[in-house]
Amino acid sequence: MAGMKTASGDYIDSSWELRVFVGEEDPEAQSVTLRVTGESHIGGVLLKIVEEINRKQDWSDHAIWWEQKRRWLLQTHWTLDKYGILADARLFFGPQHRPVILRLPNRRALRLHTSFSKPLFQTVAAICRLLSIRHPEELSLLRAPEKKEKKKKEKEPEEEVYDLTKVVLAGGVAPTLFRGMPAHFSDSAQTEACYHMLSRPQPPPDPLLLQRLPRPSSLSDKTQLHSRWLDSSRCLMQQGVKAGDVLWLRFKYYSFFDLDPKTDPVRLTQLYEQARWDLLMEEIDCTEEEMMVFAALQYHINKLSQSGEVGEPAAGDMGLEDLDAALNNLEVKLEGSAPSDVLDSLTTIPELKDHLRIFRPRKLTLKGYRQHWVVFKDTTLSYYKSQDEAPGDPIQQLNLKGCEVVPDVNVSGQKFCIKLLVPSPEGMSEIYLRCQDEQQYAQWMAGCRLASKGRTMADSSYASEVQAILAFLSLQRAGGGGGGSGNHPQGPEASAEGLNPYGLVAPRFQRKFKAKQLTPRILEAHQNVAQLSLPEAQLRFIQAWQSLPDFGISYMVVRFKGSRKDEILGIANNRLIRIDLAVGDVVKTWRFSNMRQWNVNWDIRQVAIEFDEHINVAFSCVSASCRIVHEYIGGYIFLSTRERARGEELDEDLFLQLTGGHEAF
Amino acid sequence: MGESNEDIDQMFSTLLGEMDLLTQSLGVDTLPPPDPKPPRAEFNYSVGFKDLNESLNALEDQDLDALMADLVADISEAEQRTIQAQKEFSQNQHHSTPPEASDCRGAASLSYGADTTVVSVSPYEDDLPPPPADPMLDLPLPPPPPEPLSQEEEEAQAKADKIKLALEKLKEAKVKKLVVKVHMDDNSTKSLMVDERQLARDVLDNLFEKTHCDYNVDWCLYEIYPELQIERIFEDHENVVEVLSDWTRDTENKVLFLEKEEKYAVFKNPQNFYLDNKGKKESKETSEKMNARNKESLLEESFCGTSVIVPELEGALYLKEDGKKSWKRRYFLLRASGIYYVPKGKTKTSRDLACFIQFENVNIYYGIQHKMKYKSPTDYCFVLKHPQIQKESQYIKYLCCDDARTLNQWVMGIRIAKYGKTLYDNYQRAVARAGLASRWTNLGTVNAATLTQPSTGPKTGSIQPNGQIPQAAPSVSAVLQEAQRHVGTSKDQKPGLGNQEPGAPREHHRPKSSLPPPPPVRRSSDTCASPAMAPKSKGPGSCSFPAPPEDFLPPPPPPPPEDCELPPPPPDFVPPPPPAADGGSALPPPPPPPPGLCQEATRSSPVVPKRPPVPPKRQENPGLPSSGGGGEQDFMSDLMKALQKRGNVP
Repeated sequence: MAGMKTASGDYIDSSWELRVFVGEEDPEAQSVTLRVTGESHIGGVLLKIVEEINRKQDWSDHAIWWEQKRRWLLQTHWTLDKYGILADARLFFGPQHRPVILRLPNRRALRLHTSFSKPLFQTVAAICRLLSIRHPEELSLLRAPEKKEKKKKEKEPEEEVYDLTKVVLAGGVAPTLFRGMPAHFSDSAQTEACYHMLSRPQPPPDPLLLQRLPRPSSLSDKTQLHSRWLDSSRCLMQQGVKAGDVLWLRFKYYSFFDLDPKTDPVRLTQLYEQARWDLLMEEIDCTEEEMMVFAALQYHINKLSQSGEVGEPAAGDMGLEDLDAALNNLEVKLEGSAPSDVLDSLTTIPELKDHLRIFRPRKLTLKGYRQHWVVFKDTTLSYYKSQDEAPGDPIQQLNLKGCEVVPDVNVSGQKFCIKLLVPSPEGMSEIYLRCQDEQQYAQWMAGCRLASKGRTMADSSYASEVQAILAFLSLQRAGGGGGGSGNHPQGPEASAEGLNPYGLVAPRFQRKFKAKQLTPRILEAHQNVAQLSLPEAQLRFIQAWQSLPDFGISYMVVRFKGSRKDEILGIANNRLIRIDLAVGDVVKTWRFSNMRQWNVNWDIRQVAIEFDEHINVAFSCVSASCRIVHEYIGGYIFLSTRERARGEELDEDLFLQLTGGHEAF
Repeated sequence: MGESNEDIDQMFSTLLGEMDLLTQSLGVDTLPPPDPKPPRAEFNYSVGFKDLNESLNALEDQDLDALMADLVADISEAEQRTIQAQKEFSQNQHHSTPPEASDCRGAASLSYGADTTVVSVSPYEDDLPPPPADPMLDLPLPPPPPEPLSQEEEEAQAKADKIKLALEKLKEAKVKKLVVKVHMDDNSTKSLMVDERQLARDVLDNLFEKTHCDYNVDWCLYEIYPELQIERIFEDHENVVEVLSDWTRDTENKVLFLEKEEKYAVFKNPQNFYLDNKGKKESKETSEKMNARNKESLLEESFCGTSVIVPELEGALYLKEDGKKSWKRRYFLLRASGIYYVPKGKTKTSRDLACFIQFENVNIYYGIQHKMKYKSPTDYCFVLKHPQIQKESQYIKYLCCDDARTLNQWVMGIRIAKYGKTLYDNYQRAVARAGLASRWTNLGTVNAATLTQPSTGPKTGSIQPNGQIPQAAPSVSAVLQEAQRHVGTSKDQKPGLGNQEPGAPREHHRPKSSLPPPPPVRRSSDTCASPAMAPKSKGPGSCSFPAPPEDFLPPPPPPPPEDCELPPPPPDFVPPPPPAADGGSALPPPPPPPPGLCQEATRSSPVVPKRPPVPPKRQENPGLPSSGGGGEQDFMSDLMKALQKRGNVP
């Protein structure tokens, strides 16, 4: 043991004093002083420290952090000499797992303990396991942006921070499901709430907040975000993250492997949220028509998640029960009732008959709406001069199959019109139906919509369609105060909440449209998605997002070798894109599939890439460090090596090999 | 010739009358769901027959014969059903014979699911009132089959049988059929019966069998609108009857059967569509040089992700102005959500784009000779219109490209945006159909190399850069294996499984072509020719077909229980209806297999050499592709699904 002394008190071995601070990096931390030699093992040193502190505590998570060298001393069998530690080393004896606040893709905050000593790649994998997100390799952490105007923001209400610090996840075992959620979430009401936050879509944001939040106004603004990615091969401690810091968890690589609504509720939801915020914050641009579809999906998703219809009800194991139900059903139909009843039930198609006002725009006519007796049966709409003439020939008969149905509604103006564009061999005929009130409108509208898809009002979706229309109308009215007409099943909450359509669209549409213009357009788009279940709707949203031309491109400002101006490099999952900084035009595209190798010169921060046919590209990185660019490229290459057959196992070494390589510098 | 045509004409009308009668009478006791759209169905018939009459003179005799066989089959089926019903199996010792006999006949007559079910179930229904109603009655349990089943199982099975029966009858009563005259590329025509459940793929398969062409993926159904001078390829998943029912009564539109390499061009050379538009210079290099591996990975990337990637396509096109013959040049962009244009004075960023059209309600057509008709700047035009529009209208959009390449890119791009993954599925099905061989030629010669290449591993091993690319294992081998498996399975897979259409065993037709007169193969799935009927109704030169011996005594053992539910797959072709002109009567009809051996014979006959024991689910399938019907449709499809599931259980 180190520290042999003579009687005079002189040390006769080569031991020296090592001072170790206890706790996290803190200048005023308590410290202990040990007598050690160069041959002391780290394990022994740890033991001594604990003895010295002489406090009963679980020290198993503690380890020594060497501040000057910015590294953990984790190899307990290494000696101090091997680490090169001398008496002047500032060492901190602190826990490896520390709390951080994660800002999730859905913008909610979550406090949890995470490892400060493992490479970030493993840390993220552990976080994802805790949150039950598969394929953690697609996610990573970013530093939170520095807040500039701290004073102004102080007014902001304290937001709720979910807490998962107490949850301990058994290692190695795949989380089992319990009561529809991973078992570790079902411990307390608090964690359960946390799981719901993770797995259910959040309500639309406040439109005012949406307008206040900073949005990228140019391509170079969009590069800002990507300068904040943390390094996957180093630990949080090494990257200067402190306990209690806020970090963003985001999907970094836009290559989502094996997305499965059944097994991935949290992953799907968080991905949906990230996509939604991307669109709302105008990180990615879309057209007006596309925005309406996104808005309709958000509206639909929000409605489903509020009404608690999460997941498909008992969609799990059908099979025999299914058959039995069907059999019983048929039995009743065939045996229990007279044949004529069967016929009736199979063939009677509900119809709508009423006085409606009809308007047919024609060239050179000034005629307005005229009252007609209208009969809507099957998918056919017929109208007569009056009810008495109904048995005879109608003035006109229109088969609505394949027609276009456009709502033309102004609730405050009590205008409930349905515009129909009915195809015929000669072209489209346009016709307007004007209903008296919401109820009538909802019924006819629902009928028209079903008919346009070739279905009749006997279809099981008719009732829900009517409800959906009523709900939407009340949504429109909610802006004007009243609400809760009681017509819709969601009760007053949905309408009282006054779902503002502005919360569903990017702010530039708020400026462009009035709310009452927006609502019918969203409603129109909604009719195509109204039948989707929650996971389906989320998946559809993600798919539509992926279909945008600019999807999945991460932008960096770079300067190409031989060029005198800055340009943008876009990195997508299959290609690199050179983009003009000023105009935003694509100058050139290189695909990863043609790439032979890439090199980083860490000294001059230059990335050089060689493609097939001796095409060489080199650029230096301006907005983000070349490490980030390098990691992005390597990460995408890594992701493309994934195969379905290999299951969940991650080849971490390969990832680090592809994305690392700069530790030496 | 004229005379015989008249004969045929007459025969036709009698046949039709007969058939109508039978169907009607049948309809009455088989829960006739009064057709929800009677006017429509009628209308379609009239289109069909009008067409037919018109083309009667033009028809080739052989064609006519095939068609006749179709019709005859229809009638005999109906008749057989009634007969079967009336017969009541008075001869008890023949209990199990009829089903098998009908199977044999099936071998000759291409009966299929529905009909066989009727027969094979009936032995158990001894004391039946009018049989068509039988599904509704609580029947005594069937006699215990050799392999005793538990009571419940039996009950369930009997019930399932009954339900199936009822369902099929319900369905059949409603199945709409159309006689379609298809123009071949050699200017001949063929008439064939298409029922409303058939997709373009089925019709193509049918035509393959009739024409003995190579099974190339480029074969397609093609619709032509002479009046509008537009035409387009039927997508394989489209319902043919649905498309045709949009045509007007007096239409000049035609359906063609021909090879179009545009059909699946994107899958053969994806780089021409996905990697083309950027940098004109290198596009030439890449398009020629891309190897099979890269093509595969490009396809996989574009079509196998969570969402399909629509090729980035933009450029100036000419748009015809409404109602005028003038064309305006505009900058258009293709997105997954539609075609957009850049409004005047705006940029082409997403936020400025104005929507030109979305694809939900329109089909895409090639415009033919619009330079003449509409004074278009070039002849490379495409047209977007609602499928129901048949005449000139302001709602038809005409666009014109600078060159053929651009045109093909736009048309393909729009098809990808409109149909998405379905297009790729169609292609894979077509490839599986065509066999592996054609695919290899399509993809070039690199395949052998890629097969031996390890799936992962650095491409350039010598250098050690910071980041070396482990080649993305672009799953070529996987895809190829897949393809092989496809072919493999489609070879020994039985009809009714996977992508095979009901009642349409395909692969085994090839060996048969060596049989004497090419057997016209029927696929319409709700008809069944009873040989007993066939000779009667056939025209001159009909061959007499030995009816299954009635006096066959020792009844074969009752079919094993599975067979009650799943009768052996009916063989798939009709005995050649003797060609009237070429003295086909001289040819001896293939003898029906001896009834006693029926099941074995059916299976082991040279006709269907590789049939596996009992293809499960076979019967259920004919109903599946049915297009949406009335409200009861949902319920029925639920039931069918449930039954299918059950099909796997016993």
